[in-house]
Amino acid sequence: MPKHDTPLLDELESGPWPSFVTDLKRQAEKKPECFDILGQLELSYRDKVTHWKHGGIVGVFGYGGGIVGRYSDVPDQFPGVAHFHTVRLNQPSSMFYSSAKLRDICNLWEKYGSGMTNMHGSTGDLVLLGTTTPNLEPLFYDLTHDLNQDLGGSGSNLRTPSCCLGRARCEWGCYDTQNLCHSLTMHYQDEIHRPAFPYKFKMKFSGCPNDCVAAIARSDFAVIGTWRDDIRIDQAAVKGYLSGEFAPNAGAHSDKDWGKFDIKAEVLDLCPTGCMWMEGDSLKIDNSECTRCMHCLNVMPRALRPGLKQGATICVGAKAPILDGAQFATMTVPFIEVNPDTEFAEIIEVIEKIWDWWMEVGKNRERVGETIQRIGLPTFLKVMEITPTPQHVKEPRSNPYVFWQEDEVEGGFERDVIAYRKRNAQ
Amino acid sequence: MALSKDELKANILEKALNGPKAQLYVKDFYACDPDAGPRDIKNAANDLVKEGKMTFWSSGSTTMYAAQGRAKDEEHR
Repeated sequence: MPKHDTPLLDELESGPWPSFVTDLKRQAEKKPECFDILGQLELSYRDKVTHWKHGGIVGVFGYGGGIVGRYSDVPDQFPGVAHFHTVRLNQPSSMFYSSAKLRDICNLWEKYGSGMTNMHGSTGDLVLLGTTTPNLEPLFYDLTHDLNQDLGGSGSNLRTPSCCLGRARCEWGCYDTQNLCHSLTMHYQDEIHRPAFPYKFKMKFSGCPNDCVAAIARSDFAVIGTWRDDIRIDQAAVKGYLSGEFAPNAGAHSDKDWGKFDIKAEVLDLCPTGCMWMEGDSLKIDNSECTRCMHCLNVMPRALRPGLKQGATICVGAKAPILDGAQFATMTVPFIEVNPDTEFAEIIEVIEKIWDWWMEVGKNRERVGETIQRIGLPTFLKVMEITPTPQHVKEPRSNPYVFWQEDEVEGGFERDVIAYRKRNAQ
Repeated sequence: MALSKDELKANILEKALNGPKAQLYVKDFYACDPDAGPRDIKNAANDLVKEGKMTFWSSGSTTMYAAQGRAKDEEHR
């Protein structure tokens, strides 16, 4: 395959940052189809349209996800990328790899694909970019038999679940994110590998409200660690921060002299609910007002720790901006125990209630958050058999209409809808 | 009363083979048996793919079903 002139792409190499163009040129020495990637991308830059055709019927036998068909719409000009399918691999929980595993994956991809990877996709998969239809089955065989790896999710499937580092490295983990992520991945193999839903469904697991996998912004089902008792305070360590013995933020941001630690300016005044104060040199917290923003714990990790009654909050319905703009997940279950002894039965029950409802009433290509928005949170909470709490109410006074069911009003009432409509017909 | 699984699969295949739309979402098959649950429909449609009578077509973000030979084949378009 010949090199193509790529003056527009070449400009991208002129900055001080690493360039994917340089990477592609280097890779083209081994995999000449990479010249055609560069050529097609240059053409796209000139034409200001993509030259990839999305989608297709590619896949491996028995699977309805994990491989995304990509075809060039100018294959005569760039035959090396006539097929250029993407393969998604289910990453290990928290993305803990051995370097040997990464080498094996890269070697396999050099054998069957372009050698180009994207680590990682937004659902956490290892993304292998660019192979041909005939290579898919041999690649899948070696992947599953030699490397003990599986494909991830794509299409209208459950997408590859992902989680933060959790208790493997983090003192704030309120539950074992890796255990939950791995267990649900195994439990829902059918939903990951075959389409099941009106549209994609993503699950993410964060061990604490710092939410390092951005579950609240990027997943339909976010399980975020929390606690229901009081923040643990080590008053001696508080004094240590006040005296300068301990660096705030565990020494982060220390590249600049911010002056002496000021607990009022850096902690108390930044508490979003104003629920912290000092009495002498003792720190006090009104825990009933704490919203788990984690700011104080992040600034003074030696002094403050999550409470001991730990579990998770479940938020439902985040998505990226395709329709109606991006939206955050809505807090649905304020607190749930994350219990490996029951094989997470409580969480599975919540998931399947959501799925049963969404599969029934969700429209084609409608994320569950959009279904909730369309039909209304009160209906969703009723389906979920959750009693609304003030925290479920986003805008208390913006909607003056409150609809009551007969059984929600003392004495009830009778309403003949047919007669009402007849009476009010124009 | 819900149809048997074989009857449901036959209805789904009939719709995929002879319906006006070549590619269908799983929800398009719900009408094949209004008494069946969404999971039953999805499982029956996926079984037909395993049996080689239907195929998946995926854009990468969503997935559709088609009878063999009716799916849009990007490779040969």
